[in-house]
Amino acid sequence: MPERPAAGTRAVADPPGILVAVPRDADGDFLVRELQRTRARVQHIWPPPATLPDGADVIFCDVAAARAGCLPWVPGEPAAALVVVAGVPADLAALRDCAPDAVLHRPFTTDAVAAALTLARSHFDYVRRLQTRIARLEETVRSIRNVERAKSILMSTRQMREDEAYKLMRSQAMSLRVPIGTVAATIVDGGAASALCAMTAREAGGDAPG
Amino acid sequence: MTAGRLAGSSRHGEPWRVGVLFSQTGVTAVVEETQLRGTLLALSEINEAGGIAGCEVVPVIYDPQSNDRNFARLSHRLLANDGVNVIFGCYTSSSRKAVLPVVERLNGLLLYPTLYEGFELSPNVIYTGAAPNQNLMELCAYLLAHYGPRFHLIGSDYVYPRATNQLMREVLADSGGVLTGETYISLNADRRDLVPVIAELRRTRPDVVFSTVVGDPTIHLYQAYADAGFDPRLMPIASLTTTEAEVRAMGCAVAEGHITAAPYFQSVDCVANTEFVRRYQRRYGSDEPTNMCVEAAYYQVHMFARALAQTRTIETDVLREKMLGATFEAPQGLVEINAASSHTTLWTRIGRATRSGQFEVIRQSARPVVADPYLVGYGRTAPHA
Repeated sequence: MPERPAAGTRAVADPPGILVAVPRDADGDFLVRELQRTRARVQHIWPPPATLPDGADVIFCDVAAARAGCLPWVPGEPAAALVVVAGVPADLAALRDCAPDAVLHRPFTTDAVAAALTLARSHFDYVRRLQTRIARLEETVRSIRNVERAKSILMSTRQMREDEAYKLMRSQAMSLRVPIGTVAATIVDGGAASALCAMTAREAGGDAPG
Repeated sequence: MTAGRLAGSSRHGEPWRVGVLFSQTGVTAVVEETQLRGTLLALSEINEAGGIAGCEVVPVIYDPQSNDRNFARLSHRLLANDGVNVIFGCYTSSSRKAVLPVVERLNGLLLYPTLYEGFELSPNVIYTGAAPNQNLMELCAYLLAHYGPRFHLIGSDYVYPRATNQLMREVLADSGGVLTGETYISLNADRRDLVPVIAELRRTRPDVVFSTVVGDPTIHLYQAYADAGFDPRLMPIASLTTTEAEVRAMGCAVAEGHITAAPYFQSVDCVANTEFVRRYQRRYGSDEPTNMCVEAAYYQVHMFARALAQTRTIETDVLREKMLGATFEAPQGLVEINAASSHTTLWTRIGRATRSGQFEVIRQSARPVVADPYLVGYGRTAPHA
């Protein structure tokens, strides 16, 4: 369902919360200053606790600390975009195992910090969109099963034509403001009789004049 | 960087390292320990025969203690710190779902030797236990035909039983079955938690009690059932999860007459199984039964080893390609890992527990059944109802 904000009222995102877990040296201070220049809310933590706090939008983390397990998630279920600050020389296996969205090498520069921040957020958001898409596809696969089955039930128990059965489910979904899969699941799921009674009652109510 | 992941191969005579994640403590330890044993038996057979490409296969074993967070954490440790790509493990679906994002993100390969509820298809998992079309559909048809239409569903309160019962309700609704009740008990349920369930069964008198209870509460369920005097010839507990391991723990007399559907029972009559049971019992004791979870844990290691012998690299992308489509003469009979679904083509069997703690196979598919994890090719009607 397209929901466009009215012209001129385009929402401005809150400034991101950024957690920085790198040593408090000249590079670390520079990084914090650069991030603050982006209007971000920046919190510098060092030495890192056993587990970094939740709630940040982006985490900049020293690779050794991340490898030691201070990130508040397991790879594959990140809660924030992750920029790993690589060591010298870079430990490639450690970089890969931290599963970051971007990498920052020393010495930090203004451009490198900005690029890492931008890429990390973009990559993190993209992966999240893909995961959402997969979840919706899985849900759709399940609901197609239910809709097909519910259609057959309606056709045989209420002598409906195929298009009538679909139409009934669609109208129920609209009036109840639920996905059509939910209506279908109610019909299929053992409670077919009661679901139909409820529907019929509502239909009758809806169709009755006055 | 650890050598295993750097090289992805054993060129320098270093052992192949693999991860093993089965709970040795906690609520599902009874069956997970048997999966650990099946895994270790296969590994020792492989190593006694000279290893793979002249190198031993060495397991890195952790005990996740029947705790899903430990499964996630330890799978991460295996992949990131221990130089492991391949993990044999997981019994409960919730533990598999905890490991899944980790192996997907770090491109590991989980070999999962347990029946589950279907509706999953990860490129980083090879599923060697049964999907619902390989156990539930046949079982339901058999029960409707032989015991009657009135079912009570009872399960442990987590994702597998709830998803399985949803499917069961659909099949029943469409096959003339009637649901007399549906109960969930805690994974940590004790004997007292079953009192209301038994009272309800006494009142409603279903034809079948369909159980997806797992772990220790399985034992309480069957014992309370026997104590209540219910006759399994008239009202059996039919299960997808009660194996020889649980039967042994609850007592053979308690289990006698109850029904389980599974790809494998210890009583399967073929040369590969006779050999398997003999080796298992030589290692773990002559009174130790095998079961479907041991068998899957065992044959999946051998299938992994055969693939590794060909690829000579343990790298996920190479190894997976070699395993997909592979066949193996498993103790249950010939099995095949389906290249399209990453699930295994398995035998469908229905067994009835005997006084000796074994299952008598009372029905068996004519040939192995292709897994259909999303049930694309199945309606909801029980096949012969």
